[in-house]
Amino acid sequence: MALSRDVQRALAYGGNATVVTALVVLLVGALYGVADRNRVTADLSEGQENTLQIDTLNKLELLEGDEQLVTVTAFSHQEGKRDTYVKDREVKDLLVELERASSVVNTEFIEFDRERLTAEKLGVTEYGHVVIQRGEERVDIRARELFRKGPDGEVQFLGEGAFNRAAAQILSDRQRVIYSLQGHGEKSVSDSGPQGLSDLSSLLDKENYRLKPLDFFQASEPGAIPIVPLDAAGVLIAGPTGPLTDAEQDALVGYVAGGGALLIALDPRAPEIDILDDLNVRIATGVAADKRVYYPHPDRPVPQYGRHGTVDELREQKLATVLAHIAPLRLPATAPEWMTVDVLFKSSRDGWIDRGGELEVGGLARYEPEFDLPGPVDYGAALTLTPDENGVVEPGNRVARIMVLGDSDWMSNELLATGPGNGSFAVNAFRWMVWDDARLSLIGAPTAVRRLALTEEDQGRIRFLVVFLLPLLILISGAAVWASRRGR
Amino acid sequence: MRAVWTLLKKELKVTFVTPLAYVFLGVFLFLAGLFFYMGIVMTGEASLRVMMGNLAISLLFVLPMLTMRHFAEEQKAGTFELLMTSPISPVALILGKWLSSMVMCSLMLIGTLVFPIVLEVYGDPDWGIIFTSYIGLFLVCGAFTAAGLFASSLTNDQVAAGMGGIVLLLPFWLIGNADALVGDGLQDWLDKLALLPHLRGFTRGVVDSADVAYFVAFAFVFLFLTYRTLESRRWR
Repeated sequence: MALSRDVQRALAYGGNATVVTALVVLLVGALYGVADRNRVTADLSEGQENTLQIDTLNKLELLEGDEQLVTVTAFSHQEGKRDTYVKDREVKDLLVELERASSVVNTEFIEFDRERLTAEKLGVTEYGHVVIQRGEERVDIRARELFRKGPDGEVQFLGEGAFNRAAAQILSDRQRVIYSLQGHGEKSVSDSGPQGLSDLSSLLDKENYRLKPLDFFQASEPGAIPIVPLDAAGVLIAGPTGPLTDAEQDALVGYVAGGGALLIALDPRAPEIDILDDLNVRIATGVAADKRVYYPHPDRPVPQYGRHGTVDELREQKLATVLAHIAPLRLPATAPEWMTVDVLFKSSRDGWIDRGGELEVGGLARYEPEFDLPGPVDYGAALTLTPDENGVVEPGNRVARIMVLGDSDWMSNELLATGPGNGSFAVNAFRWMVWDDARLSLIGAPTAVRRLALTEEDQGRIRFLVVFLLPLLILISGAAVWASRRGR
Repeated sequence: MRAVWTLLKKELKVTFVTPLAYVFLGVFLFLAGLFFYMGIVMTGEASLRVMMGNLAISLLFVLPMLTMRHFAEEQKAGTFELLMTSPISPVALILGKWLSSMVMCSLMLIGTLVFPIVLEVYGDPDWGIIFTSYIGLFLVCGAFTAAGLFASSLTNDQVAAGMGGIVLLLPFWLIGNADALVGDGLQDWLDKLALLPHLRGFTRGVVDSADVAYFVAFAFVFLFLTYRTLESRRWR
C-alpha cells in the first residue's frame, strides 16, 4: 500500500527528528558521564568541613592498595533525643565523603530501631555505633568517641579522627613500642587523673603505638648497666621532677648515639638531662609568658607555630595547641653541621621569660623589666642528628631524632581534652619520632554543630514573620496590583 | 538576543499584572517559611538544610504549575501559530519563556533570603553553605522549569501540562529512594539520574562539577526536547 505524500513527509521528518533527538540526548548523557568521572569539587563551607584531611586520604589510599573491600556500617542515634538529627546527619555526611574518596570503601547507614537484625548480626547493642570491617579484621567506634561537648557546650563531631584511627588499626600489622620513662616523678601512662597520660596512651594505641612504662632499674638485671630495651621505637620523658642517675643518663646518651628517638617534655625547674647538655639545648630559669594568653590562664601563653611537619597543618587550620606553665628553652644560636633545629612552638614578639615570681593570676601576665628577660621565647624544637665523627650520633648508625618541649602538661589527660590541636600534635610528635613521616597531618579536626538559641518567644516571633507576615505582604501586593488594574 | 529580551519582558509583564503571580509567590513563601520554621525548631540548628530538601520536593510540584501556561495557553488562545510564523525563532521563544520562569524563580528565592538573616540574628550560620544551597536550588529551578516547559509544549490544556510536568519529574525524585526495591548496586546507578542526591552536596557546602553538570544537562535536554516539539509542528 503506497503511503500518501503527507505521511511520507511526516515519516521522513519524524524519523530524522527522532534520530537527531536521540543522538543529542545520548551526547549530553555522555558529557554528563565524563563530568561524573572527572569530578572537581569546591568545599565552600567555613573551615572546609566536608573536605577530608590529608591523613584520611593517605589512609584511604593505603586501603585501596590492598584492594580489599572496607565496609563501614553506622547505626543511627536514638530517636527523639535532642541532637539525634544533627548527629545522624554528621555521620551520614562523613560516610558520603569516605565513599566518594575511595573505591574500596562501602558505607551503610542503618536505622537502629528498624533494622535490629543487622545490629544483632554485628553484635551491636548501642545507638550511634560504627563498625569498620575489612575481611576478618574489625574495629568498633563507640558513639561517645564520635561526639563530644565543646568548651561552650556545643556538640562537636570527631568522626573523621575516629575513622582515621580505626583505619590505622586496620592498616598496621606491627605494633611499635614507645617507652615512657618512670621513677623520677614523670607523668604516668596508667594514671587516668587530670595529670596522667592514660588518654595519650589510648590515643597512641589506636595509631598502633604502644606506650609502655620504663623503669631502668626494674627492667635491668641487678648490677647490670641499664639500657633502653631493644624493641623501643622511641623513649618518652614526660615531666621528670627528680634527677636521673648517671647510669640512666648514659643509657639515654647511648640510645641516641645509636640513632634512637626521644621526646623530652620538661617543666620549669626540671632536672638536667645530659643529652640536651651535649646538644647545647638548655632550660632557662623562669616561666615563659606572653601578652596573648588563653584567658583566664596567665600561665598558658598562646603559642606561635614554627615550620615543621608536625605543626604545619595545625598552623594552616588555625588549631591551637594549649601548653601550660612552660619552661623557656635556650636553643643553640648556630647549630653544628650534624644537627638541624626546627622550632615547633615559640612566643609572640611580646613574649618574655618571667622571673618575677608568680605570674599574675586571674588576669593578663605582666612584663617587669627589673626581673624578666625579653622574648621571643622558644617553647619546643625538633632536633635531627645525623651521624658524624664530631657529633652525638656515631657514624654508621641511623639518624637520631629528639623532640624537646618546655612543657609536659600539654599531653596530660586534662589538656589533651582541652586544646583543639593537642591530640593532633601528640599523634604527629610520636609519628615524627618513629619515622612515620608520611602520616604527619591532622588526625581529624572536630566540626562543631552550629546551634540556635531560641526561646519560646523567639520561636513565636520567627513563626509570625516567616509563616504569616512575609506571605501576607506578597498577597497584599498582589491584591493592590489587581485593584489598580481594575480601577483603570 | 533581542527577540529573547523582548519576549522576556512581555512574559514578565503578563505575569505580574495578574494577581496569580503574587498568589503563587505568597503560597511558595508560606510553604518555604513553614519548612524553615519546622527545620530550625526540630533540629535547633542554624542551618537551612531541612528546608532546602523539602523545598526542592515542593518545587517539583509547584514549578510545573508556573510553567504550564507558557505554550499550552498560547495554543489554546490561537496565538501560537502567530508566534511560529513571526520572525522570532523557536530557540528565542523557548529561551524567552524559560528565562521569564527563571526570573520568577529568582524572586521566589530572593523572598526566602529573610531566613538566613533570621539565622544570623539568632545564631551563627555557615554562609558558605547557605550560598551553595541557593546555587543548588537555583539549578533545581532551572531543571524543573525546563521540564515544565516541555510538558507545556505537548498539549493545549494547561492543567494537563501542569500534571504532565509533575509526572515527568516525579520519577527523578522517586528513583533516588528505590534501594529497598532494586538493591544497592542498581541504586548507585539510579542515584546518578535521581534529582535529590545531586542537591545534597550543595546543601553541605560542596559544589561538585558533576552535580552542576547534571542540572545543566537536565535543563538542556528538556529545553532541546521542547525545541523539537515546537519544530515538529512545522511538519506534523
